[in-house]
Amino acid sequence: MILAMIETRELTKTYGQVHAVADVSFTAAPGRVTGLLGLNGSGKSTTLRMLLGLTRPTRGQALINGGRYRDLKNPLREVGAVLEQGLSHPGQTGYAHLMTQARLSGASRERAVALLEYVGLADAGGKRSGEYSLGMRQRLAVATALLGEPSVLILDEPANGLDPPGMAWLRGLLRDHAYVGGTVLISSHLLSELELLVDDVVIIGEGRVLRSGPLDELRAGTQLRVRGGDHERLTAAYEQAGASVATDGRTLWVAGLSPEQAGDIALEQRIPIYELIAETQHLEDVFLSVAEAR
Amino acid sequence: MIAVLRSELYRTVTVRSSVLALIGFGIVAACAGYLSDEFWALMAGIGTFGLAVMVTCQHYQHRTAMLLFLGEPNRLKVLAAQSLVALGLGVVLVSVSGIAVVASGESDRYLHTLLVAPLLAVFGVANATVIRKPLWLIAGYLGWLLFVEGILYQLEGDMIFSAFLAAASGSTRGLLWVLIWTAAALPIAAWRIGRDLSGD
Repeated sequence: MILAMIETRELTKTYGQVHAVADVSFTAAPGRVTGLLGLNGSGKSTTLRMLLGLTRPTRGQALINGGRYRDLKNPLREVGAVLEQGLSHPGQTGYAHLMTQARLSGASRERAVALLEYVGLADAGGKRSGEYSLGMRQRLAVATALLGEPSVLILDEPANGLDPPGMAWLRGLLRDHAYVGGTVLISSHLLSELELLVDDVVIIGEGRVLRSGPLDELRAGTQLRVRGGDHERLTAAYEQAGASVATDGRTLWVAGLSPEQAGDIALEQRIPIYELIAETQHLEDVFLSVAEAR
Repeated sequence: MIAVLRSELYRTVTVRSSVLALIGFGIVAACAGYLSDEFWALMAGIGTFGLAVMVTCQHYQHRTAMLLFLGEPNRLKVLAAQSLVALGLGVVLVSVSGIAVVASGESDRYLHTLLVAPLLAVFGVANATVIRKPLWLIAGYLGWLLFVEGILYQLEGDMIFSAFLAAASGSTRGLLWVLIWTAAALPIAAWRIGRDLSGD
């Protein structure tokens, strides 16, 4: 059995009558990057805060390596977190911030200096973090999370403020972390960016898990875009073959058939085909279809 | 606990506003010492309390409390470490700013103030842990000191700053009352430090 490095079981947080998070259960496995997707206010950050022991659950469990965050012996050695677009005192230099956190996690000065260089802030280490751009603060936050060389990384919207090279850098870093067996849980509403990174997806909306599973599984079901001579007859023929067909009046969207099958059926019916394109669903399509289904 | 203490001490001396506040409060108290030793004690006390409030509230103001609680999930240990840091700052402030008082032959007041100031520092940390907003706390307590304890009660009685001044003069009763106020504030702080950290 695979040890689930991060696990939530019926995690619930209620503020008065409002369910910020309700019965959220999912796992994030070692060696994989798990994306927590949702619109702003969907409960992503609250879920992550409960995992990190910053917010107390009303009900349910949030476990890391089988235990609660607060019960971890040396939490910063096991879990690294990036929260709220880079937390630091604006009057403290980037270097001093990292050294403050190094003292907290037991990391060495050399480690802090090396990380400052690794995240591309070696030249800005002496500047106060209040003078940093959002992207620089995010890089500092990533360095902070990596100080204790943790196996688990939990990141809340870490791509905010990063420029395209910064995003690519972060993507590489997180993929490398998962490749060597680390667990990564990342929340974001930047779906196209996440699609390039995650292995597993947990879609959350109004505080509930709407869909979860491997990304490849969720976006399986390639659909065909078909434009032909007689849409009515084509629709009937495809449906007779077991496909589901939708149309916007000009194009048919066919699910449940391969391009070869769709082409052969059209040929049998002697209906000309002007366009036949197999379209793979993107994460955004999956997300929107889940959101619309509610 | 030791890691939090080391981290908090390092943080305090590397945050510019904390260092400037320590120097500023120190200069004000030292200048007050040239006027009167009682005035010095009052200023040193206000400085100690203000510094404690400032270094504690900064964590909530800039949300770095999250990083602190991630590093030490046992928040009572965080409270203890913050109290020790504030206590240390208070001792530095009082001992350095009071040199003129010692030089003027008022070493008794100097020592009594040095004895009671750490309690006021812990009282400040406890208050900042509950209220979390430095401006509200400092403005509120200055108003309280000025209008209630100062004008209404002439800095006499057992309320926190009056008791502090009495203790700084060598009154055991004053010292006891500062201890009582601090001891009363700590359980509330211990309870309230466990509350959720809100988001944006």
